[in-house]
Amino acid sequence: MSLFGPIDVSGTGVDAMQTWIDTSAGNIANANDAVPVGTPAYAAETPVFTPAGGSVPGQPGEGVATSVVLGSSAGVLAYDPSSPLANAQGEVVMPDVSMSNQLVGLIEAQMGYQADTTAIARAVAAYNSGLTIGS
Amino acid sequence: MTVGIIGILQFAIDGVTAQQSAVANNVANWQTPGYTGTEVSFESSLANALGVPGTQTAQVTSAPSLAAPATDGNNVRLSDEIVAAQKDTLQYQTITESLNAQFRLVQGATGGSYQ
Repeated sequence: MSLFGPIDVSGTGVDAMQTWIDTSAGNIANANDAVPVGTPAYAAETPVFTPAGGSVPGQPGEGVATSVVLGSSAGVLAYDPSSPLANAQGEVVMPDVSMSNQLVGLIEAQMGYQADTTAIARAVAAYNSGLTIGS
Repeated sequence: MTVGIIGILQFAIDGVTAQQSAVANNVANWQTPGYTGTEVSFESSLANALGVPGTQTAQVTSAPSLAAPATDGNNVRLSDEIVAAQKDTLQYQTITESLNAQFRLVQGATGGSYQ
């Protein structure tokens, strides 16, 4: 573990939560992207978290690794005859984005972000006192 | 071998730093499915070693957390980790203050100022 290692570890957590906020923002912004029937809809992005460095339970880890996977672009059929994209039956395809899931995820990401920055602040306070040794 | 108070405080600071690393890693992985939290302990080992000087060596040990996992297999509780982070910092500050007090004593004994 490097000098000030815990700050780096918390940094990976901040990064992960930022990615989560970004994907939620993108999904919410595109939640109403209607497309004609038969064309791929907007695919929701989901962040996937794994322990960095393949951590073994009980052993010091290196934080969290984040990747983003795309969901299905099949979408869901919606009845909207006023849309210029609607087919003869008045149907369009809407993205399969659950607004409640996205908003809950947003709050969780916010909590995690705050927890990670708190851990950084506590570590910095400890190191600052460490720097007074012998002064 | 007898270890002076500065050596003991140094060991304690190493232990608290390891605890802080574990907390940082647990918080970073609070939403990682299947993640098992890490707990670092050194206090009881240090107490045992100090109880009968010269017979035991104090060690910093890390072990998987035994807390019950949630439905996604993750057993990190964010509130517990934040409390641990706060405690670690206060412990760290207390130890550095003790070290400084010790150094002030040595300084005074060698003809310097006690301030």
